[in-house]
Amino acid sequence: MAPGPSYKAQLLGSLLAAVLIVAITVAAVTLAIGPGLDSTELRERERLQEERQERREERREERADPA
Amino acid sequence: MEDFVDGLTRGNVSQVKTVLASIVLALALYQVALMAVAYGKLRVSFLKPKAASFTHRSVGDAAVAIGIFVAFLCYSYFGVGDGIEHARDEETGRATIHVVAGSLFIVAVMAKIVVVRWWRRLERFLPALGLTMLSLFSVAWITSAGNYLWGS
Repeated sequence: MAPGPSYKAQLLGSLLAAVLIVAITVAAVTLAIGPGLDSTELRERERLQEERQERREERREERADPA
Repeated sequence: MEDFVDGLTRGNVSQVKTVLASIVLALALYQVALMAVAYGKLRVSFLKPKAASFTHRSVGDAAVAIGIFVAFLCYSYFGVGDGIEHARDEETGRATIHVVAGSLFIVAVMAKIVVVRWWRRLERFLPALGLTMLSLFSVAWITSAGNYLWGS
């Protein structure tokens, strides 16, 4: 039977395999999640929507009461 | 603490948790394969039991550190009671199972560390403890990261 790789090579190989597993997992899960808005962007979008809503209400009030 | 976690993950707490928990699950499966080699249940020409055992310990230390960080994110951002209470109606069961499995996983990790480091008399239970840890983490992963990935 062939002696196989040295102890050092076995350690290095098995640890590298772990690193590879981590890299593949990060890539696969990140790909599955996909690009999305983070909470800062979501809050910013919410704020803009609120501002627009307020402006719309102000305009409506102005039209209803021109004086 | 919530703001700290929010800033640390740049507002992507669920996404960061999902990636990190998936890394731990993938490493946990690798750990089982390593121990199968270490116990001689699986024979491969390129890896001997001694090296497999050493790698198991090293990878395990890293995986536990990541797992504890995930638990910290989860607990400090979602809380235990709040996580269940604030879950949507149809999600209360999932959140409860996640909290129970996650908490039991931490207990199992501590039990394994105690047996490995100080209570060597109970060494024969290590395979069972390891598989219990894998099962509990799998349940915790399915009810959070898995649910998030399938739902997205």
